[in-house]
Amino acid sequence: MASADPAQYQRVHALYSDHHHWLNGWLRRQVGNACDAADIAQDTFMRILARREVPELREPRAFLSTIARGLVVEHWRRRELERAWLETLAVLPASEAPSPENRLLFLEALVVIDRMLDTLKPAVRQAFLLAQLDGLTCPQIAQRLGVSLATVERYIAAALRHCYALRFGA
Amino acid sequence: MNTKLARAPDAEPSSEEIPSAIIDAAIAWVVKLQFNQPTPATWQAFEEWRQAQGLHARAWQRVQTLRQDFAAVPTDLARETLRTAETRRQMKRDGRRQAFKLLMLSGAAITGGWLLREPLGWQRLVADAATGVGEQRTVRLGDGTVVVLNTDSAASFDMAAAHRRVVLRRGEIMITTGSDQAYAGLRPFWVDTPFGALQALGTRFVVRLEDGRVRVSVQEGAVRMHPARGGEAVTARVGESWWLRDEGATAAEYLGFRQDDWADGVIAGRNMRLADLLAELSRYRKGRIACDQNVADLRVSGIYHVRDTDQTLRFLAQTQPIRVRYYTRFWVTVEAGR
Repeated sequence: MASADPAQYQRVHALYSDHHHWLNGWLRRQVGNACDAADIAQDTFMRILARREVPELREPRAFLSTIARGLVVEHWRRRELERAWLETLAVLPASEAPSPENRLLFLEALVVIDRMLDTLKPAVRQAFLLAQLDGLTCPQIAQRLGVSLATVERYIAAALRHCYALRFGA
Repeated sequence: MNTKLARAPDAEPSSEEIPSAIIDAAIAWVVKLQFNQPTPATWQAFEEWRQAQGLHARAWQRVQTLRQDFAAVPTDLARETLRTAETRRQMKRDGRRQAFKLLMLSGAAITGGWLLREPLGWQRLVADAATGVGEQRTVRLGDGTVVVLNTDSAASFDMAAAHRRVVLRRGEIMITTGSDQAYAGLRPFWVDTPFGALQALGTRFVVRLEDGRVRVSVQEGAVRMHPARGGEAVTARVGESWWLRDEGATAAEYLGFRQDDWADGVIAGRNMRLADLLAELSRYRKGRIACDQNVADLRVSGIYHVRDTDQTLRFLAQTQPIRVRYYTRFWVTVEAGR
């Protein structure tokens, strides 16, 4: 995943040694603890390394904090999902609780789904979840949401199109 | 139908470019076949489309993989988790927006410090706590749990070795369960009501006793409701309100204001029926507030203090087309005015 271009690598390296400390501090103020801040700082540089090219930067800190801010949002989103997951597990009867290994797998899959859903418009997301998770048909969803059947079908198609773009990039 | 779906051709490299019009067509078939009730004729038409070109079949197969992430998690778990996360985020967004808007609308500032704070220490068994009309009171239990009693309420507490139990005898309470560190959080937490028992699961919730039913509103975590006469237990989740009766639990309608704001001394809401607001306010004062039919359906929004209901009534009279008439201190009517 790291770029093969040595000049590119040099640039990221310089960015790291000049601003890593600053970024850590900035992130600590955002997320409130050193551990998560260090993780996100690391992820920020991984993100940059994975890019095809890093431009010459006039304002490297603005560049870094833009990428890091996106990761902070993802961080909180994931936290929220983890809490919801734990709450869901908490009310399950012991006999239905998944095994520890499965818990991890399920949570990872949920993180992927959740991230995908995040970028859908609320109405599209709602319709798609009713179809996908509640097993409702389009006419049932149309009735539930008080919109036309054609609208619901358009929503579901839009959600699938979006999933397709994320997975296959077109 | 699944056997038909399974008959897709073998995997192909995912890098292949498939024209987006064909992808759109494949997605349209998914919607027709898997999210509707297709007729045999629809299936027939689909088969013809799929076999018409190799690209069609490959597009169909690719689109089928999109739902694999969902298939990786048991549906119930996915549904509960995603819904809970969604509700929580929604409440956060609404909470911020709402609070700001309400402040702008009412022009009223929230003042605090009028609640009775009463730490009770580490007693295992605590005597009943009660409030009079217009009073509120906060009780802290040994496990870290905080119970706030609303106006005209009574509850008792039983902290035993094997369980923690609050009995709601009258009125309304808000419970924020403690971590129960001395017992590593292992003791179950129960709230007993005349219409059923509630099992708290690391949570904040409001329980309100009414005629023949109890209202359960969950602000954090979840509450499992067990109707008194048996029947199915139901889980109330974040942001939800339920009626629990002897014979079962049903979803409760939203009254236009949040169910836990009273603990901050206010009723805050948007688009509340005036009659509902007045009924709510009258719980905080002795006597009664009668609301004339002509103004019962007026819609009001804002933050209304429950501590000084006379002042709140004056404020309503200034901001709404109504007149407040005092026959005695305990007999107030609200009617059309101005």
